[in-house]
Amino acid sequence: MRWEFAMENVAAGEAPIAAELHMDNDAFAGFYERSARPLWAYLARVCGDASLADDLMQESFVRFLCADHPQDGEVAARKYLFRIASNLLKDHWRRAKSTPIDDVPEEIFAVSQPSGQSESRAILDPALALMRPRDRQLLWLAYAEGYSHREIAEVTGLASASIRLLLFRARRKIAALLRDQSAGKRGAQ
Amino acid sequence: MTLRSCSREKEVRELVLRGQWPQAAGDELREHVAACRSCSDLALVMPTFLAARSQSAGSAVSGSVVSGSPGVLWWRAQLRRRKEAMERIDKPIVGAQIFAFAITIVIAAVFFVSQVRQGAPWLSARWLPLQWLDRFGHLPHAVSDYLAGLWTSASAMPVWGLTLGLTGLAAVALFSGVVLYLDRQRQ
Repeated sequence: MRWEFAMENVAAGEAPIAAELHMDNDAFAGFYERSARPLWAYLARVCGDASLADDLMQESFVRFLCADHPQDGEVAARKYLFRIASNLLKDHWRRAKSTPIDDVPEEIFAVSQPSGQSESRAILDPALALMRPRDRQLLWLAYAEGYSHREIAEVTGLASASIRLLLFRARRKIAALLRDQSAGKRGAQ
Repeated sequence: MTLRSCSREKEVRELVLRGQWPQAAGDELREHVAACRSCSDLALVMPTFLAARSQSAGSAVSGSVVSGSPGVLWWRAQLRRRKEAMERIDKPIVGAQIFAFAITIVIAAVFFVSQVRQGAPWLSARWLPLQWLDRFGHLPHAVSDYLAGLWTSASAMPVWGLTLGLTGLAAVALFSGVVLYLDRQRQ
């Protein structure tokens, strides 16, 4: 016996409370307008693949809408969105790791360059490509998004106490890489 | 690598965030940054990331990198939420259905056996379960003894009492499913 009769309102679009989203269409459109670009930039920089960033961004927003996200303002909501995106990235890397190395296409290993190359990106992209994904994540959240150590811990799920040291090391490493890039560029000219 | 951050990082950070580094920095701060590894790293890394962020955001708009309109995403989320809600509702009901089905099978079996024991004319005596048990000669003795004991104790009970008890259990199972369903719906 099926129980559609009990869920007529669900099927007809008159969703019961359990199926309602926590944000209406207009409010979400505004939130999307303000959050999509920073989120895409974060994903594209960390994963190094524009089309993957597109997919992960869309999935992040869908999960954000489905989840019981914090209702205390846009800053908290955005942090929650970044947290979802970070978890999706983590899942993506975990899946990639479980694939036998012979089955992975060559392009996966190269960080593809998103369109619209500019001078600062031309220096930053090769340097970021040499960093570990977690370091890219920490650096972007700290220096592009301006999150504090506590907020980064919330977004990434790492221990708050370890963020300072990890970030310090990552910054030192990327600074050295950026200097090398600049020196190499000047030498080539 | 020793973790040694500089107390003047905050000044550098504020200038970079305002877009005034190094123009608005005093000579003394510039000299400090040139000599301090921590501050020079910050002064190099932070503007690079901020520039990359604004450029990425720009390319996301101009190059239509950010595909998918918010309306479509909202609609997708609503579909997924409804699907999850339907699955949540279905789960306790399916559980209760399975339990009720199992109880029904047990009741039918008990009824059948009681009919056999009472010598129902429509059943032949050779179908007696105890004779069936004899056929399990290949089973270990402990198992066949246990089954025989179970059968003897069940047949000693009044049939109507057993049936009533099992029907009560089935009703409880069904009500549990309904209560669970109503609780989930309320949530």
